Amino acid sequence: MAGQRQRAGQEGGRRKGQIPKQQLKDSVPRGTCQTMCPANELHDREAQNRLHRFEMIAGTERDRRPKGDPLRAVKEYSRPAAGKDATNPTDLRPPAVLRKTVSYLIDDIAGSSSLHPWTEVYDFVFDRLRSVKQDMIIQRVSGMDCVAILERTVRFLIFASYRLCGEPLQLYNPCINDTHLQECLSWLLECYANETGPHPNQEEFQALGLLYNLGSGRAAQHVIELPEQLRSTPAITLALSINRAFVERNPVRLLRLSQQLNFLQSCALHRHLVACRKDLLLIYSHGYSSRNCRFPLDRLAQLLSLDRSRTAQLCQVYGVEVNQDNQVVFSKAAFSELEQGKMQCKLYHSTVSEKQKRPHC
Amino acid sequence: MAHITINQYLQQVYEAIDNHEGTFCAELLSFKHPHVANPRLQLATPEEKCQQVLEPPYDEMVAAHLRCTYAVANHDFVEAYKFQTLVIQSFLRAFQSHKEENWALPIMFAITLDLRIFANNAEQQQQKKGKGQPGEMLEKAADQLMSCFRVCASDNRAGIEDSKKWGMMFLSNQLFKIYFKINKLHLCKPLIRAIDSSNLKNDYSPAQKVTYKYYVGRKAMFDSDFKPAEEYLSYAFHHCHRSSQKNKRMILIYLLPVKMLLGHMPTHQLLKKYDLMQFADVTKAVSEGNLLLLNEALSKHETFFIRCGIFLILEKLKIITYRNLFKKVYLLLRTHQLPLDAFLVALRMMKVEDVDIDEVQCFLANLIYMGHIKGYISHQHQKLVVSKQNPFPPLSSVS
Repeated sequence: MAGQRQRAGQEGGRRKGQIPKQQLKDSVPRGTCQTMCPANELHDREAQNRLHRFEMIAGTERDRRPKGDPLRAVKEYSRPAAGKDATNPTDLRPPAVLRKTVSYLIDDIAGSSSLHPWTEVYDFVFDRLRSVKQDMIIQRVSGMDCVAILERTVRFLIFASYRLCGEPLQLYNPCINDTHLQECLSWLLECYANETGPHPNQEEFQALGLLYNLGSGRAAQHVIELPEQLRSTPAITLALSINRAFVERNPVRLLRLSQQLNFLQSCALHRHLVACRKDLLLIYSHGYSSRNCRFPLDRLAQLLSLDRSRTAQLCQVYGVEVNQDNQVVFSKAAFSELEQGKMQCKLYHSTVSEKQKRPHC
Repeated sequence: MAHITINQYLQQVYEAIDNHEGTFCAELLSFKHPHVANPRLQLATPEEKCQQVLEPPYDEMVAAHLRCTYAVANHDFVEAYKFQTLVIQSFLRAFQSHKEENWALPIMFAITLDLRIFANNAEQQQQKKGKGQPGEMLEKAADQLMSCFRVCASDNRAGIEDSKKWGMMFLSNQLFKIYFKINKLHLCKPLIRAIDSSNLKNDYSPAQKVTYKYYVGRKAMFDSDFKPAEEYLSYAFHHCHRSSQKNKRMILIYLLPVKMLLGHMPTHQLLKKYDLMQFADVTKAVSEGNLLLLNEALSKHETFFIRCGIFLILEKLKIITYRNLFKKVYLLLRTHQLPLDAFLVALRMMKVEDVDIDEVQCFLANLIYMGHIKGYISHQHQKLVVSKQNPFPPLSSVS
């Protein structure tokens, strides 16, 4: 986002004076499309057989040319390209329609219990949310609509980062999900900072932002610069404590505090837990490194918030010895950083899933 | 001087350009120079006059400058910023046509400096009226400075003497100021890389080098690269002119936390001399291992530390404070086998919130891992067994 604006700004600077830019501002496109998918696109995709099965009229899926359902079809994301006019008002959805689209995507598609597999659900929703974001950028949507859309998008992407963790790369790419999540998140935080509220969900999202970006100096600095009143709310205070535990390399405290998180917060934090548990085994391998010393496996399991068998498994991954009496023998020489990819985060999801409820994004 | 006529002024500019007198010409275009207060030069429509005396694009540049003085006289900084942008743009056209010459660098320094200042003022004026996004003006100013930077950095043909590359560090410093202000530190990286790979990097003026190292040091600090941060900031502190007390104080605000993290505590006199007593209790707390006092000191001066952007870094001093506290426990007990309970008592005395024996073990394990304590923990005996030799190595030897 910032990069794009930067580049646009430089080009503006090379032109003489500021006038063209001003004109540009007055001519921001305003969408007129009243459906989730512009009529043109629905027609084209129907003709080209490019409808997603979630968009077809029930019963026609097996036809040679399935029919599109105007109530379920949603505008696809399409990459901006030279010579393509993305500003046609009939192809752009105004903010109110965008909001409805997001509700449909999240409540009716992502939250549906009948649509399977979830990787396909994700793929569909992710792509359509991306086109919502594109429509927002082209029309320079701001204010409450923008905040509401970004908030729901961020929740969805955070949930997805947990739910799809460990899926094969062709079905779920964590880097792409992360890029979008970060973009939406920083846009949202910008909205909070620059627009007068009220922003009733700000506490939730400031906390989520910090938990998701645990250990990032930038994220922490942003949060401590928030007004005292906001900073001292329970969710943000907890997120700050967890961040402090992370920075001080105190995994015992971090894991303990993380028990207090709600489901979505746990999803946001979850990608750091691998590193956190590794840290614990690493520092204990140094701190307890003595030939005759033993550490009870059950005690270690407690500290790691894992059950006994997963704890033993994790020890094995990092070369930490567990003897027949279920005693851990720490040794700094034995601890090994594993090769990439061997460690499967998903196997250790127990803590979050215990609290699994239906997410409402 | 203050009362010369427009024709005299233009004649001076003409001669300065004609004779390639960069420094003098820079004065004639700088808002540090008294001519800007001369009412006879503050014109709303100086274009025609300028065209009569000067060649393009210099006529445009000087006309924009005079309109800028007019705007400043009316306290309209938004307008002033607009015209200063024009000054830069016409200057750049001239500058680019100066093949293998760099006499105009002083002009660039003067006008880019003024641009940044006007962007700052304009933004404040806008904010007061509730207009514009914060950082918007400064970002646009940064774009202008970047186009100057590109011209300088790409001057590969000229010999060292005549190279426009001599302008790079000054522009970097101006850009750093903006990026730090609008909190976009990641944009500093390409500039640092460009300067680092330049063969002139050690030969810029001391003043420019001090500013440069100050910002690069701060950047390193926020990236948690404390060793290089200490190096850069120390350089800036030691080479900063002794009369610039204010600048030395600013450097210290960042140098002190870095030094402390590396185990060097500032003296009381130093803090007093530079009016930085906010650090006094922090220093005392860390050296004594007094976590309670550290927390108090941090929250007492929280606003100051957060505004300077060092609060999170000072929080990292807790680890050293634990180390110092635990060393005291060791000195008190005079044994090499220390019961873990003793540490728990110490932490509870310091009111560390809901701490228990598991966390004590975690603290100790971490300190052992970092090399702050030489020894091991025995879970069976609930004891920390420390080395007979040098169980708490000096801080400066560790990190």
